[in-house]
Amino acid sequence: MKPLSMPFRLFLSGVSLALAVSPAAAQDSWVIRADAVYTADGEAIEGGFVAVSDGKIAGVGPGSGGGGDVLEAAAVTPGLIDLSVRIGTREFSVEQSTETPIELDVADTLDLFSYRWARELRSGVTTVLATPYDNAVLGGYGTVLKTGGEPTLEGRTLKGKAVLRASMGSQPSSGNYPPRGTSPSNFYARRPTTRMGVEWVFRKSYYDALADEQNDDPRLAILRETIQGNLPVAVQAWATQDVRTAVYLKEEFGIPRMFLDAAAEAWKEPALLVRSGVGVVLPPFSFEGRVSDGYTNAEHFLALDSAAKLHAAGVPIALSAHNAMDVGSRLPRQAGMAMRGGLSFEAALAAVTLEPARMVGVEDRVGTIEVGKDADLVLWSGKPFELTSRVIGVLLDGVLVVDPREEQ
Amino acid sequence: MATARQSENHSTTSVPLEDNPMKAFRSRIFRPALVCALSTFALSSVASGQSEKLVIEAGRIMTLAGEDIADGVIVIDNGRITAIGSQDEVEKPWDAQVIGGPEFTAFPGFIEAHSYRGMDRPNENVDVAPFLDVRDSVDPVAYYFEDCLRWGITNVNIQQGNNCVIGARGMVVRPTGMTIEEMAVRPNFGLKMSASPKSGKSRATQAQSLREAFGELRRYLEDLVQAEKDEKGFAAREAMFQGRELDGEKAEGRPMGGTAWKVEGLEMIPRGAIDEKMEPLLDVVEGRRQVFFYCGGPTDVPRALDLARENGFLPRTVLVIDESCWKAADLIAEAGVPVVLEGSLVHTERDAITGEEIETFVPDELAERGVRFALSSENASTSSLWYQAALAIGLGLDRDAALEAVTRVPAEILGLGKEVGSLEVGKLGNVCLFSGDPLSVTSWVEHVVIEGREVYDRSEDVRNRHLLEGVQPAGTAVPGGDDAEHGVHGESREKGGKDEEGK
Repeated sequence: MKPLSMPFRLFLSGVSLALAVSPAAAQDSWVIRADAVYTADGEAIEGGFVAVSDGKIAGVGPGSGGGGDVLEAAAVTPGLIDLSVRIGTREFSVEQSTETPIELDVADTLDLFSYRWARELRSGVTTVLATPYDNAVLGGYGTVLKTGGEPTLEGRTLKGKAVLRASMGSQPSSGNYPPRGTSPSNFYARRPTTRMGVEWVFRKSYYDALADEQNDDPRLAILRETIQGNLPVAVQAWATQDVRTAVYLKEEFGIPRMFLDAAAEAWKEPALLVRSGVGVVLPPFSFEGRVSDGYTNAEHFLALDSAAKLHAAGVPIALSAHNAMDVGSRLPRQAGMAMRGGLSFEAALAAVTLEPARMVGVEDRVGTIEVGKDADLVLWSGKPFELTSRVIGVLLDGVLVVDPREEQ
Repeated sequence: MATARQSENHSTTSVPLEDNPMKAFRSRIFRPALVCALSTFALSSVASGQSEKLVIEAGRIMTLAGEDIADGVIVIDNGRITAIGSQDEVEKPWDAQVIGGPEFTAFPGFIEAHSYRGMDRPNENVDVAPFLDVRDSVDPVAYYFEDCLRWGITNVNIQQGNNCVIGARGMVVRPTGMTIEEMAVRPNFGLKMSASPKSGKSRATQAQSLREAFGELRRYLEDLVQAEKDEKGFAAREAMFQGRELDGEKAEGRPMGGTAWKVEGLEMIPRGAIDEKMEPLLDVVEGRRQVFFYCGGPTDVPRALDLARENGFLPRTVLVIDESCWKAADLIAEAGVPVVLEGSLVHTERDAITGEEIETFVPDELAERGVRFALSSENASTSSLWYQAALAIGLGLDRDAALEAVTRVPAEILGLGKEVGSLEVGKLGNVCLFSGDPLSVTSWVEHVVIEGREVYDRSEDVRNRHLLEGVQPAGTAVPGGDDAEHGVHGESREKGGKDEEGK
């Protein structure tokens, strides 16, 4: 029996090669020629090239790009960025000792050997934001990392301690019960049990941080970092009321940098988001409009034109796939769905490259095809984000982790 | 009897199917059998009695029967295509209604080869229930049928759910109409079986129950013949006790057909005297009824094929397979049966040693071995076949093969190969007008015509506007909508999120 069909065999061999071979030994200089080079930074280049040297982008422009080891594709885009991958960060990784484990770092719990990273690479995703899971109100540091390369934090981290994770809504309070008929010191009786309680825990933490600036509690120092604008706050907010709460808290404490994650119903409040300068990471689209956090089973309505509507209003938007196993739900398909809802191709491309890079402050390294940036590139069989196109090649820091030459 | 009920309800002109697999059968059988066959395998027409003419104009016609036509015209008269060609070739009847325009792409309707949606409940508690008919369960106002039109699906084969041993008889419908009679295209069509265990059973008891159903049929027929031999007129009297009229072909007996096993003396039994529970299974053994055999894993495939061989219905078997069944693709190819691929296009498993994720693109595996397959949207994240076809192309399937798998192949599986599946003169006037390439992510179904009648217009699709723009237009109701907060929702469906994270 023939074990694997062509496109998928290449994924496996390509990915395992990348894991096995140390970056020093792997080739990281190429010339990529494509019918269309989408840089995510200005106009598309028809019949262009991207030159890669020592893991960085060395040249981009029209024409053939001269000699060297040539890879060909119908289209090339920057490596895709997903700020909501949720790999290895489910409830078992949630610290239960407090509702505000602010000083914890998700980097300490990431499983870099998970097979799910390879799934991201196959889908063209080269950079992700990993955050603690959302069962705490203030959940700790998130980290920006590459999806491939040597499986060490040093090897993969693009920006450690990149965001502070917060969560609104019912998830941090779900599973908690009022101390009725049980000892108040009972494990579950301790935490907030309502949306109001969640908001209060957030507010109290910030009051504590502001009340005594001399307090050297490291947790409060981290909150002051967010108020000083050195650390963005990434807030999970699925429902409209959670979107509003997050923005009101931002304005109340003067937190300069905040973006919302899984903001399914943000499309109902574009003006509020513009007023407060808050960006949005949308959860994966569904065909029936309903989406769920998969934890509390609350359903939210994500209109298909959400991305288009928010973009038109001037809200920075990013798309995410939540590490979907289903090939029809991965990040390139989310961009396609956003286009189905009326978003232009250019804006859809930015929503999976430059916009998310800006939200977490790594746009100097990734997010566009520009000379000097990391050579994270995706090669496509046709127009990107169409269902009828696929990712045929991926370069990560100039190393070929999915090889387009095995395609034919 | 189901056949009697049909002839009552379907007083509209019934058109026999030319490509019916019954054709060869008919020539061998004497006349009463022919009449019976006609009434069983009748195609009811939505447009019969009408003589309305419709002209559809499109900037591009994808006929799926040869070349595309640029700047084309389709003329539909009395429900069927009477002319198709470019603007300067085709004469447009002066009295025809005209829809379409140069901005549209015309495409034959998609055909769902197998579905168990649109029913009150898709599964039956009784293990062996061929006496039931899905027509009693199909809900014409189910949101699913509205969704079919929205996605350009013009025919659906509705069969019982997979959680059965032997299920109910199915039917092919057009997803439009307020009554089941308006919807019926091929009533009393097909029978569902499952080689995968019904809930509460093991694979062994499932296999035994399947074999036993046919064993019971055989014993029943033998006992009936013996009783008739012992006492002439026994069968006819039994039928009358059970309230069944024996007239016309029902009063006639005929020898047992089929190729597998025979009960001698069956010609002595009036066909109308055969028990309702047994009759559909007898149809199966005689090769007169399509079987949709569900296989939820590769291990189920040989069991299904063996049962089909033992009882002579392999030539009328369609396997409904889950994505893991690609591992049995060689067996499927050898048996020469077509399949409906239900669910994901990609089979995902973990390598037992390295832990890496292995993804197998199933349509490639089937195509390589020459297995004829239809794609299905059952168990997919959407009830849209354009999406499945486009995704299949994205994953590496040839474009023509992908288009065939949602049009021509399902049409043939349903015995409708000469009626639907492409745009040709003589075929039914089932046409979808897309705003662009039917497989592009930015294209929408703008108009759907079924048998010459426009049944969907996106500009009037309130529900679609809601999905797209999120705003519930005032004064509109949404199916199942009791969620005051969002005013959304149709039937409750299993959500995506198949990921195994955290398990």
